[in-house]
Amino acid sequence: MDSEADKSPVLVIPCSGIGKVQGLLSREATYLVTDKLAPEGTDTLCLALLVKGDVDAVAQVQTHKCITIDGCAKACAEKNVEMAGGHVGEAVQVAAVLKGYRGTQPGTGAVLTIDGWPVAQDIAERVALCAAHLQSGEEVAS
Amino acid sequence: MSYAVLACNGVDKVEGALAREVGLRVAEATGGDLVCPVLLNRSPTHYEKTLTEDALIVVDGCGTRCASKLATEAGAKPKQKVLVSKLAKASAVQLEASLLLGPEEMAFAESIVAEIVAALSAAAAPAAPAVAWDAPTDFLVVVFNKFEFRIPRQGYWFSENDTWARVMGDRARVGISDYLQQQLTDIVYFDPPEVGAPVEQFGVLGEVESSKAIFELIAPVSGTVVAVNEAVVAESPGLINEDPYGSGWLVEVELSAWAEDRELLLDGPAYADTLGPKAATY
Repeated sequence: MDSEADKSPVLVIPCSGIGKVQGLLSREATYLVTDKLAPEGTDTLCLALLVKGDVDAVAQVQTHKCITIDGCAKACAEKNVEMAGGHVGEAVQVAAVLKGYRGTQPGTGAVLTIDGWPVAQDIAERVALCAAHLQSGEEVAS
Repeated sequence: MSYAVLACNGVDKVEGALAREVGLRVAEATGGDLVCPVLLNRSPTHYEKTLTEDALIVVDGCGTRCASKLATEAGAKPKQKVLVSKLAKASAVQLEASLLLGPEEMAFAESIVAEIVAALSAAAAPAAPAVAWDAPTDFLVVVFNKFEFRIPRQGYWFSENDTWARVMGDRARVGISDYLQQQLTDIVYFDPPEVGAPVEQFGVLGEVESSKAIFELIAPVSGTVVAVNEAVVAESPGLINEDPYGSGWLVEVELSAWAEDRELLLDGPAYADTLGPKAATY
C-alpha cells in the first residue's frame, strides 16, 4: 500500500448478515459512519462483490485501509477481506460490543428499536475514531 | 411449501439496499428462512438442509447478480429469481442515489414483494386444463461423434438461433432445440418474459441460464406473450433438458404475423442440415 493510498478513504465493510440484529447493527453503523460521522474519510464496499472476486472490489481492499464490522464470531467480513489480500486495520465485532449492553433489546433483523440505535451509534463512533487514526497513519490499539 | 430467501444484501448501491429490503419482506410474507449470501459462500454446509428442502427465492440488486451466482455455486436451483435493477428499469422507476431508502423506494420494494408472492401463489395453484398440444413422435437424428441431436421431422419451425416454434391456430409454443439444450448442459433457471408483453421475431423472450452459460431466448415468432411454462419457471428447469420439444416448452405466443415469420424459419429437415457445421464446434 503506497503513501498516496494511505490518504484515500478508509473502507468500512460490514458483514452481510441478514435476518439477525447483529447484521443489521453492522450495516446501520456503517451507514452512520459513511453518511454522517466521517463521510469524507470513509467509504463502503459490498462484501458479496468481494466474495465473488470482483476485480474492482479486490483492488479496492488491496489499496485501501479497511475496517470490518462483523455481526458474529464467524467474522465473514474480516476473513474475506484478508482472503482478498486486504489490510484490516481494525476488526469490530458487534456481538462483543453488545456485551456492554446486557438487557438491551436492540431490535430484529429487520428494524432497530429505540434502544438499538444507540448501540449502532456507539459502534459507528468507535469505527469513525479508528478510521481517523488509520488515515493519520497511526496503528489502532486493539 | 417452505421457502428460503437469498438476497444479495448489497451495501454500497441503492439496488442492493432494495434487494435486502425485498428479501426481508418476502421472508416475512412467506414465513421463509433468510440465507446470508456471504455465509453461504463461506460455509455452504450451514445452509445445506435449507437449500435441499426449501424452495429458494433469489433477489439480486445489480447486474453483477452475486446472489444468483452464489446460489449456482452452492448447487441450488431457485424457484424464483428477481433482479431489482431490471424491474426498476421495466417499471420506469428512478432510484435515488442515496442508500437510505425513501418512501418511493419502499413502495417499489412492496410492489416487488407483491409480485413475488402472487407468482408463488399462482405456481402453487392447480394447473389450468392443458391445451391439446400434441407431442412429437417422429424424429430426425443428427449424429456427431458421441452426440445425438433429435429434431421433430414435422410441425416444428426453427430459427438459426436454435429456438423452435410449434404452431396451432393463432398460437405458438416456443422452446429451444435438443442441440442447444445439450450445448448449455444442466439448465438451472428460465427467466421468462412478462405475460402480455409484445415480442418481435428475433427479439428476446427471456433468458435460459445453465451451469455453463446464460442464453438469450430468441423469439422465432412475433406476437404477444400469453403464457409461460410455470412448471419450468417455478419447479423444474431441468424439463428443458429432459424434454425440450414437449414439457420443456418455454413461452406461448399469440401470433401476429405468422405468414411473414415463417418465411425466415427452417423446417425440421432444413434445420438438421445446419447442425453439422454447428456440431463441429461443439
